[in-house]
Amino acid sequence: MAATAHNRATIPAQADAGAANGVFKIGLGLGVVGLAGVGGAFAVDHKQAYFSWLTAFAFYTTIALGGLFFTMLHHLVRATWSTPLRRAAENLAANLPLMAVLFIPIVIGMHDLYHWSHAEAVEGDPILKGKAGYLSPTFWIVRAVIYLAVWNVLAWFFRRTSLRQDETGDVGLTFKMRKMAPAGVLAFALTISFAGFDWLMSLNPHWFSTIFGVYVFAGATMSMFAVLALTALWLTNRGGLGNSLTIDNVHDVGKLMFGFIVFWTYIAFSQYYLIWYGNIPEETVWYKVRLENGWQWYSRLLAVGHFALPFWVLMSRHAKRNRLVLGITAVWLLVMHFLDHYLLVSPTLHDHGPHPATLWMDAAAMLGIGGLFVAFYARRFTKAAALPARDPQLAAALEYDNA
Amino acid sequence: MATPTSQETVFPPPLVEGGHTFGSVTDAICGVVEKPTSNGWKAAFTAALAGLALFGVSVGYLIWEGTGIWGLNNPVAWGWAIVNFVFWVGIGHAGTLISAILFLFRQKWRTSINRFAEAMTIFAVICALTFPTIHVGRVWLLYWAMPIPNQMGLWPNFRSPLLWDVFAVSTYFTVSLLFWFVGLVPDLATLRDRAKTKIAHTLYGMASLGWRGANRHWQNYERAYLILAGLSTPLVLSVHTIVSFDFAVSVVPGWHTTIFPPYFVAGAIFSGFAMVLTLAIPARKVFGLQDFITVRHIENMNKIILVTGMMVGYAYAMEFFIAWYSQSAYESFAFVNRAFGPYAWAYWIMVSCNVITPQLFWFKKIRTNVGLSFILSIFVNIGMWFERFVITMSLHRDFLPSAWDYYSPTIWDITTFVGTFGLFFTLFLLFLRFLPAVAIAEVKGVMPQANPHWEGYHQHSDAAHGTTAGHGDKVHG
Amino acid sequence: MADRRTWGLLAEFENPATLLHAAERARDAGYKNFETWTPFPIHGMDRAMGLKGSKVGWIVLGGGLTGLAGALLLQWWTSAVAYPMVIGGKPYFAWEWATPVTFELSILLSAFGAVFGMFALNRLPRPYHPLDRIPRFRKVTDDAFFLTIEATDPKFAQAREFLEQAGGRNITEVPA
Repeated sequence: MAATAHNRATIPAQADAGAANGVFKIGLGLGVVGLAGVGGAFAVDHKQAYFSWLTAFAFYTTIALGGLFFTMLHHLVRATWSTPLRRAAENLAANLPLMAVLFIPIVIGMHDLYHWSHAEAVEGDPILKGKAGYLSPTFWIVRAVIYLAVWNVLAWFFRRTSLRQDETGDVGLTFKMRKMAPAGVLAFALTISFAGFDWLMSLNPHWFSTIFGVYVFAGATMSMFAVLALTALWLTNRGGLGNSLTIDNVHDVGKLMFGFIVFWTYIAFSQYYLIWYGNIPEETVWYKVRLENGWQWYSRLLAVGHFALPFWVLMSRHAKRNRLVLGITAVWLLVMHFLDHYLLVSPTLHDHGPHPATLWMDAAAMLGIGGLFVAFYARRFTKAAALPARDPQLAAALEYDNA
Repeated sequence: MATPTSQETVFPPPLVEGGHTFGSVTDAICGVVEKPTSNGWKAAFTAALAGLALFGVSVGYLIWEGTGIWGLNNPVAWGWAIVNFVFWVGIGHAGTLISAILFLFRQKWRTSINRFAEAMTIFAVICALTFPTIHVGRVWLLYWAMPIPNQMGLWPNFRSPLLWDVFAVSTYFTVSLLFWFVGLVPDLATLRDRAKTKIAHTLYGMASLGWRGANRHWQNYERAYLILAGLSTPLVLSVHTIVSFDFAVSVVPGWHTTIFPPYFVAGAIFSGFAMVLTLAIPARKVFGLQDFITVRHIENMNKIILVTGMMVGYAYAMEFFIAWYSQSAYESFAFVNRAFGPYAWAYWIMVSCNVITPQLFWFKKIRTNVGLSFILSIFVNIGMWFERFVITMSLHRDFLPSAWDYYSPTIWDITTFVGTFGLFFTLFLLFLRFLPAVAIAEVKGVMPQANPHWEGYHQHSDAAHGTTAGHGDKVHG
Repeated sequence: MADRRTWGLLAEFENPATLLHAAERARDAGYKNFETWTPFPIHGMDRAMGLKGSKVGWIVLGGGLTGLAGALLLQWWTSAVAYPMVIGGKPYFAWEWATPVTFELSILLSAFGAVFGMFALNRLPRPYHPLDRIPRFRKVTDDAFFLTIEATDPKFAQAREFLEQAGGRNITEVPA
């Protein structure tokens, strides 16, 4: 058991490039199809198309941000067990440049998305006038540039340093990354919170919630673990790393996925509950829209699907160690992560009830951005090792016996 | 692969220092309990009893006279009682965090401090529970808070956050006590088997329930312990969440804000770890437990204090930002009044102790300095008490300016609060005197020799076959 | 050869490694009523002894579900049936306001299940045990590692020989 793993001379760390390339090509193809669909959507209803784009953009950006957070958290707490999974998280965060490019349509569509961006609307509204110092188009763009720049610098630093360790095996690089992690997490916490306020909360510029940034973060981390679980399953199967990564590593991801399902629920419940109980109109308006005229079925599905169902499934140790069950749960959670963002964005436009006829536009945006996202993510597994091959902690992490 | 020397620095140092064997661990920890009572302990216990007496007098007079002896006034109907309640409950949370959450995360460094911290939890919760009990005024009617059938056909109001508190805190107390006791059982058996007097043998024997270390028992025990840790983790989060609901379900500006639940939980962990340090740093010195509660433990706790302090700072910032962003006149006023109104002095004490001084823990030199850690931990204790004070004092300027008033404590507010420290330290000193302050069986379990696959054993059998391999020095690794 | 006056045989082992090895051999040799006694749980011993998983989890599940159902029933019945009253403009019953107490009672009864279930499965408290008569056995809570084979085991006749071969020391007959 433990003693044999110690003597493993070299750990296979290179994923099957052919299989990863296959995913890359499929992703690229689907992305092009999706983007064509998005083009069609813009032709039909450009306002709806922007909302669909924002939903998909938020969905994938949060996943990439989750990868960045996981990478930094690993260094912050000096974890050992998470070492083999860190490269996948770094690869997810490396999609942040892509997300920066895909943010451009949101800037262009600002006036279709954000009520407060219309000067004449602000003029007649004392509340919006009061916060115009913050919610002004120029400052909003400046902030977005700052968020995206901070994330990209952090993602680039951690991935580049980690890749350099693959070549040199220098332990000093581990210390370098650990040194950077606390400041990185701090910058991350502030930027993701304010990005959440700017991009999602300000869709309804009168509504406010202090916990909203934490809510965005909770969903980001949970969905990232779902992607990490799928990646680990892929790496141990088609990815050809079945000898390095074991079901124990997959099990660990399952446990964290479970933990963040609970965390998301806790945050979501805290927000809903305090607003429900306080019952002040300026706050309840946000939930009122989402609990009436048909939207309530989407909200209920979110409560069951984002919490109750996966909670009971993943409670079991066997489920977390069963490839099929864990895989299906991870995919399901990603669907729920979409529903979560769909419910954050869409009711702003359709405040008199859901509009399923336009769902194809959301699907097109999800496919378009998603295809590119998956393609670039997969391609990184062909360019570098899929595990941080010469991280001094890797051997110790892989001999873990998940009893 | 990296060189062996750099390998050592990537991985943390050993958890138990000083080259201990299983036997010497038993001796070192049980020795604290078995030695004759020291004069230092007697002096401390006398002081604690004096504090307890002060508490008894204050509560006795309160019950006799009523809550009018406190400084409560019309807008500030909640005074020090709720502040102290939240303060003590928060202190308790680090104990559960160490025993449960760090256990689930397989943070083995927790084993030396968990017993200690769990005891702290239980005694802190006892102190906390006294405040809601006595603040009701007519203490003898407290059973009305329980759903007991009665001739009036009335039931408790389950829609009230104060009733949720009753359920949350009493559940928390019960589960913490059970968790602590389960952890103690094997160690009580150790004390039983070492007992020199018949009375000690009988008492420890009864308390240990006849534990003899059978593996079938360990199997159920470990499963139960894991489950208890799994239950305690959401429990501890729920308790401070529900405590935050006491404030946040209302519509009082400064109280009603959605970030309160996680913000209170982070604050509780923050203050709790500070209290663990405040207690553990002197105790490890007095009882010679430096090999078990090492500088590494202190540094790790300082890191947690730094992180949770940042979370608390984040919540302060979010509250302020959203109060402005909401453009609600009441919200903005509440926060400006906090920072620049009559209680500005309390607000800035809070910010200094909770957000500013913990920043010193960014420096490893300070994190690993035992004396400075002790001082900074006391700062956090003070800061977190003031946080609850600042929150509670949101009441002093309510919606009706003609009712505005300034709250000042009376002497009885102060003696009651000081008295709870007497209660706390009385219980804590009794614990240190009669129960093992470090979890003996658990510490043995994280020593390298506890692993049946430890390299030392293979080398040992080699030595038996004639090759020379010193395994004594391997104890450290 | 089950002697009525013999509870079983006690053998001491030097360290966790040798004890684990002896337990594996006892399992493979077909012993059923044997037990290992240690100052702390030893990783891998359950497998070495061929034990099945603990049942504590099921008791906890039962406790938790009882707490959940009981709490909902209590709050719904007292607030919406027995004495309905409008308080704070809240509905007579709503899952929202019932959540805190329901959660707490589920946890409380689960914890009872874990603790008392564990004691019950372990048949504790048990004030007296035949092993208490062996003075050496007191070291089990300090730094000694023991293996016992009970007289009720079908293969008890060969037990002493087995323990000697497995490396047991100070092999002692434990009177019942």
